Amino acid sequence: MITREEIIKQTNDALKKEFEFKDEQLVPTAQLRDDLGLDSLDAVDMVVVLEQKFGVTLRQGYDLRTIVTLNDLYDFIEKLARTHHK
Amino acid sequence: MECLRTCFNTIVIGGAAIFWLVVSAVVAAPFLWLQSTHRDRAVRKFVYIQSRGIVFFMRLASKGLHVEKQDRPKTSCVIVANHASALDLYTISAFGFDNIVYITKGWVFKVPFFHYVMNGAGYIDAEQTSPEEMLALCKRAVEKGCDIMFFPQGSRKDPKARFKSGAFYLAEQLNLPVVPVAITGTQKMLPAGKLSIKPAKIVLKAFPAMYPKDYPGELGHLRMAQAAKKQIMDFFDKETNS
Repeated sequence: MITREEIIKQTNDALKKEFEFKDEQLVPTAQLRDDLGLDSLDAVDMVVVLEQKFGVTLRQGYDLRTIVTLNDLYDFIEKLARTHHK
Repeated sequence: MECLRTCFNTIVIGGAAIFWLVVSAVVAAPFLWLQSTHRDRAVRKFVYIQSRGIVFFMRLASKGLHVEKQDRPKTSCVIVANHASALDLYTISAFGFDNIVYITKGWVFKVPFFHYVMNGAGYIDAEQTSPEEMLALCKRAVEKGCDIMFFPQGSRKDPKARFKSGAFYLAEQLNLPVVPVAITGTQKMLPAGKLSIKPAKIVLKAFPAMYPKDYPGELGHLRMAQAAKKQIMDFFDKETNS
């Protein structure tokens, strides 16, 4: 099963590649909207990018508005990956 | 010499440009006010004429102003450009687009006197408009024959900032071509936060239109934004380093 460290690395790599973030911006406490400047369309794009990266479905049955920080995002993907693995 | 030219540009040419903006607005205001129908179209035409005037003053203040045009698409289009100076807004007129709806930040709508033009022309406040409303307003503008103008970097602070994909999503939804425009030299002539007008070479280049059908898939608009940015920034870097 994918480890949390791998989730963090792959998520950050995807965000750097698709949204041009720098390493120093991608701290776990960074707020997606206020610190990283992701608007509602960016958030949708980010979800699609991460779905393709991890092969999971993030959009169905989950309230993505609860994801405020990068750490929330890592937690969410980790939880999904664990469920998917079971 | 450069210092003297900057002083001349700032005081004489800058003063003349402000005089042009004020006097043309005062002269045009009653005529625009009297327009009962198509007032928004008349205001957009007025903004175009004002902008052509500013480009004339920019040419006087520059070390050369070159415009590389393309044939415009036969339909309305979405124009996207990089953004590093307050002058960028006016430069688009050099390509002959005379019926543009600008999508801008909210603060522009709060500038005294300016907000009459912004509202009169039917420009759209990106911060106060939901994505659904934006789509509906742009669709209406396109039905009136307007082109839609975005600065996808959203701010003048970082000339290399990411292109947000909203403009490209809109083009995808309304099936409109996207015309990328590179603006170089204005960031030297009048950088963000400065008031002095330095002499600089200005090159404006329109690229061939991009079509949403060439960028399929759920992330098509994101890929189109990345491709447009690459074209513009490659040209920007080449001109800036030459």
